[in-house]
Amino acid sequence: MKLVIDSDRCKGCNLCMLVCPYRIFKEGKDQNERGIIIPELDRPERCPNCRLQRLYGRTVCGLCQMICPDQAIRWDDEKENEPQKVVIEF
Amino acid sequence: MSFRDWYRIDRLPTIYCVGCGNGTVINCTLHAVDTLGWKWEETVFVSGIGCSSRAPGYIKTDSLHTTHGRALAFATGIKLARPDLHVVVFTGDGDLAAIGGNHFIHSCRRNVDMTVICMNNWIYGMTGGQGSPTTPRGAITTTTPYGSGEGVFDLSALAVVAGANHVARWTSYHVKELTRAIQTGLETPGFSLIEVLTQCPTAYGRRNKLRDVAETVEYLKDHAILLQKYNRLVQEGKPVPEDMFTVGEFIRRNRPAMGVPP
Ligand SMILES: Cc1ncc(C[n+]2csc(CCOP(=O)(O)OP(=O)(O)O)c2C)c(N)n1
Ligand code: SF4
Ligand code: SF4
Ligand code: SF4
Repeated sequence: MKLVIDSDRCKGCNLCMLVCPYRIFKEGKDQNERGIIIPELDRPERCPNCRLQRLYGRTVCGLCQMICPDQAIRWDDEKENEPQKVVIEF
Repeated sequence: MSFRDWYRIDRLPTIYCVGCGNGTVINCTLHAVDTLGWKWEETVFVSGIGCSSRAPGYIKTDSLHTTHGRALAFATGIKLARPDLHVVVFTGDGDLAAIGGNHFIHSCRRNVDMTVICMNNWIYGMTGGQGSPTTPRGAITTTTPYGSGEGVFDLSALAVVAGANHVARWTSYHVKELTRAIQTGLETPGFSLIEVLTQCPTAYGRRNKLRDVAETVEYLKDHAILLQKYNRLVQEGKPVPEDMFTVGEFIRRNRPAMGVPP
């Protein structure tokens, strides 16, 4: 699975940056069409949830999703034939 | 199921300001409710008036968005008519402690079986930043332009002495602890208050040097002291750092309750 920020919901508060132990969320640079600067993702495949969510049947860590006041963070299935990146960092 | 399934997605994004802590508190509440496996049709969310009180409007279950300060009176009514329903109340510090103060202490006294989640942002957010009974001393609001000179209500302490069965306090930074506390509150028969200190960057932060959302949440984290640690410091006669507030579970007991399903 892959980590995504829903650009229709994110309001750019950067709280996700504050909590992620892997520092996956980086301050964004460009405004989107709504004038909001959405955080950038730095190698999001490092998030343990991408790989372990299915395996464990529950959300692992999930701090960013819980603190996101606008319900903008989720994990999507990769499309068919989309290369899956799996990186484990300890 | 996940807590996200409880949201009315057609209503999102919320009307809340950028970085408003209320959204985080709704996430944690829905996560707790979802973990317990409650059904939509068995759960009712009730609220008064305020930014915090808009929360039930984003949730799929039946809900009551009532008059200012009266959420607990409506919730008591639901509990007496339909004790089989789970009743959860969202409220703000103004809604619960100012205009609703009497309903608050008497609901604790009666120990009505409900869980009350108070998003305490130290201010009246919705109406543009008037001081509330929890506004800290010295804080600038539109009604205290030279800094508040009044004492402050400790909502959790108030609920403990008024007779609530379960009382806990956390902040919008402590999402895991908060979720667990809400879950305990939902499971405890009788009145349960979960006080959550949240950021209101628009009405409070802007006037009180807490404009930056992440900095405010970090402020909440840094100024929270665990109840156990606080008690230990007091016991050992050591000084407790100033400006700190305690977080944790203040009480869990088994006083006779009203509205508990037979
Ligand atoms: C009877 C009545 N008096 C006053 C108001 C105006 N009013 C609306 S919201 C509000 C304050 C809400 O503050 P709080 O409960 O702290 O919620 P917040 O907006 O901070 O989440 C007030 C005074 C009202 N709607 N009804
Ligand atoms: S789930 Fe945890 S590790 Fe993964 S992105 Fe969110 S905060 Fe970071
Ligand atoms: S916490 Fe949510 S709303 Fe805030 S910047 Fe991150 S994704 Fe966007
Ligand atoms: S005014 Fe304050 S409490 Fe209301 S939505 Fe904005 S930040 Fe949240």
